[in-house]
Amino acid sequence: MLMENKIMGIGLRIAQIMIDELKLEDVTAETFNPDIDLVDEVGIDSMDLATVALVIRDEYGIRIDEDDYPKLITIRLIAEYIGGKLDEKSELIDD
Amino acid sequence: MPQKSQKLKLRRAQQRKEWKFSELIEDQKVRERWERVRKYFFLRESTYDMTNRCNIRCEGCYYYEGDKQFSRENKDLNAWRKLLKDEKARGITYVVLAGAEPSLVPELLEACFQEISLGAIATNGLKFIPESVNYKIHISVWGDDETSLKIRNAKNMLLRQIDNYKGDTRAVFVYTFTRDNIDQADKVIETLAGNGCKITFNMFSSPVGYKGRLRHTAASLEHTRETMTALLLNHPDTVLFSRYNATAHTHKSGLHALYNCSYPRVNPSNDIGLGRSFRQYRTDLTWNRDAACCVPDTDCVDCRHYAAGSAIVTARLFRHATNPDVFRSWLDYVDTYLSVWVVGYEKGLNLCSKTVLPPGVEA
Repeated sequence: MLMENKIMGIGLRIAQIMIDELKLEDVTAETFNPDIDLVDEVGIDSMDLATVALVIRDEYGIRIDEDDYPKLITIRLIAEYIGGKLDEKSELIDD
Repeated sequence: MPQKSQKLKLRRAQQRKEWKFSELIEDQKVRERWERVRKYFFLRESTYDMTNRCNIRCEGCYYYEGDKQFSRENKDLNAWRKLLKDEKARGITYVVLAGAEPSLVPELLEACFQEISLGAIATNGLKFIPESVNYKIHISVWGDDETSLKIRNAKNMLLRQIDNYKGDTRAVFVYTFTRDNIDQADKVIETLAGNGCKITFNMFSSPVGYKGRLRHTAASLEHTRETMTALLLNHPDTVLFSRYNATAHTHKSGLHALYNCSYPRVNPSNDIGLGRSFRQYRTDLTWNRDAACCVPDTDCVDCRHYAAGSAIVTARLFRHATNPDVFRSWLDYVDTYLSVWVVGYEKGLNLCSKTVLPPGVEA
């Protein structure tokens, strides 16, 4: 449950970054469907994703590899990816 | 001297620092340029061979390699209109009309323009393309008129090209550096500058199997880089280019090795980006994923083509957002690309005057 909340929190933040950076209209972070296909249904391209990845890098201190872009086609998948990277990071610090 | 060592320390510290993207765009000029270029991230291209005819025959021409030259010509205006409508529907916002010589089929160019209003035409410039087709027009120059006569079998080429396109804001002359014509560039650019024409640079990239005299060597690449840089400094109002363009296109490794080309021909993924959207149509309006790139039948290892770089280097935003010089160089590259390819986009002053290597390349 905690984990799910964490991913949801990240998802909301990612949705807001997308809205701000890509100037998306008629949607809020809360109404942004986390499972909508960003490529097919929102029309996001690799340049858009690279822009979002840079803002995520600033905010969370993690890197999204270019090779991973094709996997990140929904807000939920991006949030899970970031959650995983943050966990890896905290494990490294703990070690 | 202490001042010099302080500067050196500062530079080393800057190189080590992990830059945030927000820091990279803190500088007002950089931020403005970033905001200006990102407005064009919506461009999604495909390319189209318009006819299999040409009014000249050049050595090393990519069009007359491979089997695309034998495709039947579709001259049906309605078929072209339908194709372009379908292209628009699948998200294509930019067309490149090429092979063999598009100016021979002006009615098809017109039809394309009516369907998708952003694009470019690659032409030898010997036949004027009507002004109603408001695409960028790229006019190929392969050296001085003596060289053109030798490898393109056409007389007074530059004079005829200038006659057709002098003062035409659509026109960009594209000087292709071969191993043979590096020292002719200075005079050609001077002539073009004197006529108020704009020019950018291309690199001869061998068609598959080509081992002829035009293919670059390590020495000719270096000589070309020096020449490009000098021309850029001497003719800043004429030459649409940047230092980073020169570095990226004359490196001993080709574009694919440096930036991982993402055209379908070498990229099996169709999830996102060029691998998903790009198609290269033949004159019979078919396309083949295995052959799809901006200059089909080019030897990928030797590819330094300006059109390829415009898509491949531009797409590598993330890996250039590492420090201020690298990011500024990338912005210069994108700014150059847009000024060459988009009608109405004016080139800004280059932001980085240093030589910056492609990401991951050691000095």
